[in-house]
Amino acid sequence: MTSEAKTHAIDISAMQRDNRVLNLEDETCTLEVKDLRLAYGEKEALHGIDMKIPKNRVTAFIGPSGCGKSTLLRCFNRMNDLVDSCNITGQILLDESNIYDRSVDVAELRRRVGMVFQKPNPFPKSIYENVAYGLRIQGVKKKRVIDETVEWALKSAALWDEVKDRLHESALGMSGGQQQRLVIARTIAVKPEVLLLDEPASALDPISTLKIEELIHELKKDFTIVIVTHNMQQAARVSDYTAFMYMGDLIEFGVTDTLFTNPSKKQTEDYITGRYG
Amino acid sequence: MSFEDNYSTHISQQFNDELEQIRTQLLTMGGIVERQVNDAVEALLTGDADLAERSRRIDQQTNEMELQIDEQCTTIIARRQPAASDLRLIIAVSKAVSDLERIGDEASRICRHAIDLADEGENQRGYQEVRHIGNLVREMVKNVLTAFARNDTEMAYRVAKQDKAVDQEYRTAMRLLATYMMEDPRAITSTLNVIWVLRSLERIGDHACNMAEHLIYLVSGQDVRHASLKQIKQAARPDEDS
Repeated sequence: MTSEAKTHAIDISAMQRDNRVLNLEDETCTLEVKDLRLAYGEKEALHGIDMKIPKNRVTAFIGPSGCGKSTLLRCFNRMNDLVDSCNITGQILLDESNIYDRSVDVAELRRRVGMVFQKPNPFPKSIYENVAYGLRIQGVKKKRVIDETVEWALKSAALWDEVKDRLHESALGMSGGQQQRLVIARTIAVKPEVLLLDEPASALDPISTLKIEELIHELKKDFTIVIVTHNMQQAARVSDYTAFMYMGDLIEFGVTDTLFTNPSKKQTEDYITGRYG
Repeated sequence: MSFEDNYSTHISQQFNDELEQIRTQLLTMGGIVERQVNDAVEALLTGDADLAERSRRIDQQTNEMELQIDEQCTTIIARRQPAASDLRLIIAVSKAVSDLERIGDEASRICRHAIDLADEGENQRGYQEVRHIGNLVREMVKNVLTAFARNDTEMAYRVAKQDKAVDQEYRTAMRLLATYMMEDPRAITSTLNVIWVLRSLERIGDHACNMAEHLIYLVSGQDVRHASLKQIKQAARPDEDS
């Protein structure tokens, strides 16, 4: 009776814990961007970005097309190195060491900072081999280890139940949403620290989109996630922090709840409310 | 960031119209409720039972408007997924209409007592207090609606300040009326009616103050409910050092 009576009491402190206010200052950061400038030939696309990406949080980049958000995302695992005429200055620190140092092994960097693209890009192999691919490249040979990791990655990507009976069938026979989750499984199989998602749900239907969003929420327990999205409601739903970029500048970066209810910059307000800039 | 009184700059003209419409309807409803309060106090003080009856009938209209505006707010949220100041506008309007409806209910209650008291003639004990607090409260309702029309947080702060004065006057009046009842037990029934009227007026002041707080939230983004007058002042005058 006593315990029953207790359940009727409202525990305000528990409510406050659930609604705990995030604060960028209190976060441990995984990536730190310092005065990052990037130019494609003569044209500067990022004009000196400074920001910290907090660990085990979801950080969303929003902004109009051409604002530099994908460019910045691609800087985090040096994908822009593949672009001729791309010139980068400044630093990006991953666990306090600059990823643009000459000594950095780019393949190892891309293992630590995995990336998922807009369009699902599974390899023309079996589901199992897609996930095992990164491990094999790393030289893992033990079948037991690979089996366990594939199962773990597929479970983490909320795909295991759907594919466990057809692991050796071609990945190309899967639906778009499943393929995207497979790509996420392939990325996390090599245990990265950071997961970069470049519009991961823009080619998917609403149900698959929700599954990816749910997955992002689960994955942030183990990974630091950075997502670029054109869908502002998606940014509002999935992210803890949001960065608004405009014409190569970081205009505002803060707690998602605050940015979407009371942004501090007029440009942010105009963009998220759909006003003329 | 300065708050712009401008709902016409969205890329979607339809969205502009929808936001402008709920604002306009809030102010229209405010106008009706303001009249209800004025009529209720007048009917009571002049012993005009007909006016009280007419005013009571208007309450049905405000109830319907509350439902209508709330439904529009729900539709906008569902269809537009508003953010930032647009979202705050919808939240503030939705809460403000609820306060307006409650003000209408209190005015209606005053009318009911006005009808009872009309039989007993004018100049009941406590009418002076009703007139005084009634004037303060009417001023508050007028001011808060003007504040909404102009997005004027300074005026909203003044309304919050006026509410403190009303609370103080109400406590004083209560003490006085309690003394009357002790002095003359035959007047208890009619004095109780006056007490209920004063109670309703005080509640109207509280609702007007709530609306002022919603407006400050709409404009500044700061939730000042349950805040001190000093905190309300700071939110209403962000440029001013404390």
